[in-house]
Amino acid sequence: MASAHPINRKLQTEFAASLVLLAFVGVLPAFVTNAYWQGVVVVSMYFAMLAVAWNILAGYTGQFSLAPAAFGMIGAYTTGLLSYYYGLTAIVGVPAAIVVAGVIGLVLGRIVLRLRGPYLALTTLSFAEIMRLVISNSIDFTRGDLGLNVPGIFDSRLAYYYMMLAVLLAIQVGLFYLLRSRAGLYLRAIRDDEIAAASRGVLIVYWKTFAFTLSAAICGLAGALYGHFAQFVSPELGLLSQTGVVISMVVIGGLGTMVGPIGGALLVYVLSEFLRDFGNYQLVVFAFLVIIFARFFREGLWGLLLAAFGRPGRPAAAATAAE
Amino acid sequence: MLTLDLLINGLVIGVFYALMAIGLSLIFGILKVVNFAHGEFYMVGAYAYTLSALSLGISPWLSLPFALLVGLLLGLVVERLLMRPLYSGYTSWGVMRDEYAVIVTFALSIFLINIVDKVVGPYAYKGPALINISRITIGPVAISGHRLVAALLAVAIIVVVALIIRYTFWGRQIQAVSQNRLGASLAGIDTAKASAIVFSLAGGLAAVSGALLANIFNPTPDVGVFPAIKSYVIVVLGGMGSVPGSIIASIILGVLESFGGVYISYQYRDTFGLFILVLFLLFRPQGLFGEKAREV
Repeated sequence: MASAHPINRKLQTEFAASLVLLAFVGVLPAFVTNAYWQGVVVVSMYFAMLAVAWNILAGYTGQFSLAPAAFGMIGAYTTGLLSYYYGLTAIVGVPAAIVVAGVIGLVLGRIVLRLRGPYLALTTLSFAEIMRLVISNSIDFTRGDLGLNVPGIFDSRLAYYYMMLAVLLAIQVGLFYLLRSRAGLYLRAIRDDEIAAASRGVLIVYWKTFAFTLSAAICGLAGALYGHFAQFVSPELGLLSQTGVVISMVVIGGLGTMVGPIGGALLVYVLSEFLRDFGNYQLVVFAFLVIIFARFFREGLWGLLLAAFGRPGRPAAAATAAE
Repeated sequence: MLTLDLLINGLVIGVFYALMAIGLSLIFGILKVVNFAHGEFYMVGAYAYTLSALSLGISPWLSLPFALLVGLLLGLVVERLLMRPLYSGYTSWGVMRDEYAVIVTFALSIFLINIVDKVVGPYAYKGPALINISRITIGPVAISGHRLVAALLAVAIIVVVALIIRYTFWGRQIQAVSQNRLGASLAGIDTAKASAIVFSLAGGLAAVSGALLANIFNPTPDVGVFPAIKSYVIVVLGGMGSVPGSIIASIILGVLESFGGVYISYQYRDTFGLFILVLFLLFRPQGLFGEKAREV
């Protein structure tokens, strides 16, 4: 019906680009047979899930949370503790992680409804730090900074690889249909002008909470899968610097686009593994890039690509910034 | 005598918190943004003090103004390069200006932590003491010489800054801009200059705070993270943008943590402040003293 609308055309282009990217990841093991580098791509897919989840909140709803890594940690510990205490496997642990992270996200989202900008950032930052400090200090329950050993799911690394890819693809497809629907329009309307959206009958409370819950649940899923892949969870998953990595991926790839978080996550994480051989400068480089991109190219690499090869006169940056 | 000890200890810590929180509060007042790199101003100050004293062999009393200078410059540079778009209209972020500030300062914080980690190394350096008396006994309370001198210096700096803001020409310009930026610029105040002064001052104060504490909390690349979180709690508690509010809130938080660490739980000491922050943001965002948010 409304597929010709420019907003949907923008979504379709971005979605198609992200599918190309994921297809590339899909055939990559044919060329990259080294188990170490396959593992690097698996971890970068974990970050891609967090980045996609954060982008739903920050890029599409205008809620800047500083807690994505904390929700990933919550998901990882949910399945970790279930297997540690009750011997439950991933079949129970992963859905439980989605539910637990989603419910905590629902409560937090409901609580921070009224807060915007710096206030929201401060509250979610405090939440993230409280969660991390509680987990690392509740030594009797969580073994603290020692972390927990988590059983794996598969024996082969490739199995993890394609499981992560399938989940990432499913999230991406689901998100595309969500954003194309009325719900997607509501979310973007809230981002652009909450009062105007409310005056047109958008249920602000419902949709903002929905976005927060969805984002938290995806983070929980990502964290749980990562826990089973690494076979180990620790409070370090929830460090603020991890959130910084997620944010840098989205900003470098392109905030508020469907392809930006995935492209950014793959690029940033794989590059950072390369940079590791040159003296661990990766965080310096990426933080610097984030500052440059945020300052000069808000639409990230995707926006630059569009400006270079896309339709002249209608760069993505102008389309979103012009309101 | 434990109670008195705890009280003095809390007061001393509170004074250092205040030194840092004032800058954050001024920045919020004038730009309406939270500087997530504030802890890194503190960290840079701690290193400037410690390394200049250790490697150049100069007296700590010279290193202290050096740290102040480094902080002032860093604040100025950050304001010119990154904060200017917030009010000069260059940013393409449109309505998301707050989000721009969050991202840029958060990234700056990670950048500074990691570049110091690479250049200086991850190991802690012991900051030199300003005065080499390990124990001064005043009545029933014993305190280290450095801690006492540093706390007195901090009090002096806070008083000077408070007087500058209240009575000088620059200070009144800053007050005017934080009350109403548009109104101030209509009255002929250079708002860009006021913002630069505030950011620079905030950087200097945080750096001095780091320098004064370098003997107690030895500088590492991430030494600024906790003081920064404390100052977020304080500016929320004291009312964002209010200098007297943040001074009082600093003292309250210092004393609360000092007592809470002993009487409630040492393990979870660092979470108290964060809980207070969340509760205040939710139920009393204007802070303890009810200073209403001003419309701009």
